[in-house]
Amino acid sequence: MSDVLGDFIRALRAADVRVSTSETIDAGDVIQLVGYDDRHVLKDALGQVLAKSEEEKTSFDEVFDRYFSFDQFKNQKAANGNAEAEAEGGEGDGDAENGQQADDQQGQGGQSGEGQQGEGGPSSGGGSGGATEAGEGAAAERDLVALLERGDQTELQMALAEGARDAQLNNIRLFTQRGLYTRRIMEAMGLDGLNEEIDRRQASGNEEGAENLREARDGLREQVRDYVEKQLEIFTANAGRQLREEVLSQVRLTNVDRSDIKIIRQLVRKMAKKLVALHSRRRKVTQRGVLDVRRTIRANIEFDGLLFHTIWKKKKVDRPKVMAICDVSGSVAQVSRFLLMFLYSIQEVLPDVRSFAFSGRLGEVTDLFKTEDIEMAMATALQEHGGGSTDYGKAFEDFTDLALDDIDHRTTILILGDARSNYGDPRSDLLHKVHERARRVIWLNPEGRSMWNSGDSEMRRLQPYCDKAVTCASLKELERVVSEILRHAS
Amino acid sequence: MSSSANDIDEIRSGFEKSGYICSSQIATSIFLAQRLQKPLLIEGPPGVGKTELAKATAELVGKPLIRLQCYEGLDEAKALYEWKYGKQLLYTQVLKEKLGDLMTGAHGLKESMSRLHDFDDTFFSEEFLEPRPLLKALWQPGGAVLLIDEIDKSDDEFEAFLLELLADYQISVPELGTIKARTTPIVFLTSNNTREIGDALKRRCLHLYIPFPEAALEKKIIAARVPEASEKLREQLVAFVQGLRELDLKKKPAVSETIDWARTLVLLHAQDLDPAMVRETLNVLLKFQDDIDNVEGEVNALTSKAQAAAE
Repeated sequence: MSDVLGDFIRALRAADVRVSTSETIDAGDVIQLVGYDDRHVLKDALGQVLAKSEEEKTSFDEVFDRYFSFDQFKNQKAANGNAEAEAEGGEGDGDAENGQQADDQQGQGGQSGEGQQGEGGPSSGGGSGGATEAGEGAAAERDLVALLERGDQTELQMALAEGARDAQLNNIRLFTQRGLYTRRIMEAMGLDGLNEEIDRRQASGNEEGAENLREARDGLREQVRDYVEKQLEIFTANAGRQLREEVLSQVRLTNVDRSDIKIIRQLVRKMAKKLVALHSRRRKVTQRGVLDVRRTIRANIEFDGLLFHTIWKKKKVDRPKVMAICDVSGSVAQVSRFLLMFLYSIQEVLPDVRSFAFSGRLGEVTDLFKTEDIEMAMATALQEHGGGSTDYGKAFEDFTDLALDDIDHRTTILILGDARSNYGDPRSDLLHKVHERARRVIWLNPEGRSMWNSGDSEMRRLQPYCDKAVTCASLKELERVVSEILRHAS
Repeated sequence: MSSSANDIDEIRSGFEKSGYICSSQIATSIFLAQRLQKPLLIEGPPGVGKTELAKATAELVGKPLIRLQCYEGLDEAKALYEWKYGKQLLYTQVLKEKLGDLMTGAHGLKESMSRLHDFDDTFFSEEFLEPRPLLKALWQPGGAVLLIDEIDKSDDEFEAFLLELLADYQISVPELGTIKARTTPIVFLTSNNTREIGDALKRRCLHLYIPFPEAALEKKIIAARVPEASEKLREQLVAFVQGLRELDLKKKPAVSETIDWARTLVLLHAQDLDPAMVRETLNVLLKFQDDIDNVEGEVNALTSKAQAAAE
């Protein structure tokens, strides 16, 4: 029982649901309480113990439905049943369906979480003339030949699950391992014995019996492969995506393929959420600092003026104001897009973001990004401010006209660009002015440090007026920068 | 059918008797919370009946409901316990007066000290403890239903401080030691998700997400809460609200708004929906002027759709 649960939890973890050890224990308690009989109750109950947010609930529902549906034997039942009936007719060693097995079935059906009880029962009833004793039945359960000939699907299911456990199927990670695991499971189920039996029948001239068994064996192999593929899907459903996300977060944004942009957008949202969670605590300094005399005295009137409660002046830490100046020309546009996406995804902790876009002339795009969907906003910004050759001098001029008065000691200025000004004057004097007023100026350059100052890059002249100039080309680097802004704020 | 399924059905019908109509999921969560003795964290959009669930449970199990409303700056003095300072002051004064009697005949400092030690120390004792909601819930003789409402509004420190209570149903008072629950209370926490609840807290709780109800369930709720509404009106207004939820709104109307609206319409003697009346009463359903402005253009379409759906 606990193996089933353990594997299920492993599958959940693969699907991005975080399950802790104590929750696993809780899940065990829940199963003991509600049992495996009622699928709906089990799903509701486990969901409340294991999945603890809205997204996790959705993943949980998916995994649950996929994991607790062992239906691959259902379809094969009829065909197999016929074959088995024939075989039994010929051999006459069909096993009786006795009460004990019926009991077993119920237990097994329960374990697979799917009401399959009784389905396999009648199929082998046909040739049970020379019924053997119950004791032999138990022993024969281990025997693959007898199992196939009985054709009891529930039992086969059990044997398959057991074989899979022996073969440690839950370690499967790669698509190419299917054959290997199929073989291992077959062996664990007793493939060797089966082959021997086929040979023996062949030798003793029982062509029909051998043929039947061979068919049954091939059918079983199909089923095992199906099972393996399904498990592979369960245990690695997200592994591919996780790997992809991992890679994408480190790749240069300018090199990202168009088809991956959707994943990156999700990734940005995920990272932003993490940052929000990390920084959303409203920092307050209480219990130290300056005594709030007025409120302290008022609070202590009831104690005859003896100061029992001390009340301290609260200091709330401000959120930073951020102004982002983004180059939206050419290759830098891609990075700008994700920087802006980042900044607007963390509005909860960074409510005061103003953004400006430029290539030739500069314009404010704050409202655009606040009201429009990010893709639309980006497209509009590109249309309005993209095009034209990049001119940092003009851009800084426009910026100081627009926003210099609003810059104060709490403002962080983020500039994203490659500093390639087409040999025009970058107007470092203006940046100097901005730097004097602002709290910090951070320059993010998507080019590698070795490329700075080459050709028309003006980093040399601009860098002195930046508190920090860093390379920023991948999502990981973006996240680091944004996180740092937040950390400084608090 | 197992016994657990029966129990769950029983809880559900029990709720129905007291007018709280719920899905099987909610009933399951109450069943688990009772049996596993774990706190239940309820999340969902505002107005879907999170607080109501705690009240209904209290009624169902026949235990008093003790409610703690969380807010920013809530601390343990308001949530857990407070010393009765005034009485303690009086006590020390009484003690001072008695000190003379106590010390008569004592020779030397040593003897005085040992006499003082023999003296019952009640300055920090349960007598001077003023229980606040959490402690009250632990002390309640027959057990209680404890509702910690809107936990997301409280500070992180308060959340951390709840952990001991939620895991072991005990709290530590530094001067006294650990106080254990007399009877394990049923604990509900609700959250509107204004901020992410910490993992440590989530781990200790069962988690129930209550979404907006489906049409059938909502109809049942209206039937139970506003029995005066005719069946036709009920069908139409539920269909209307369900349609409204599919629009892109700042705040979607929840069940509580549907109930209010149904009551309003009953007061206006409405037999069925008509666009003019809907327009006039829209402010019961929608709480933002932007939303009202947006929806006004759609009222006709939504109303006729609702009428068609109710046919």
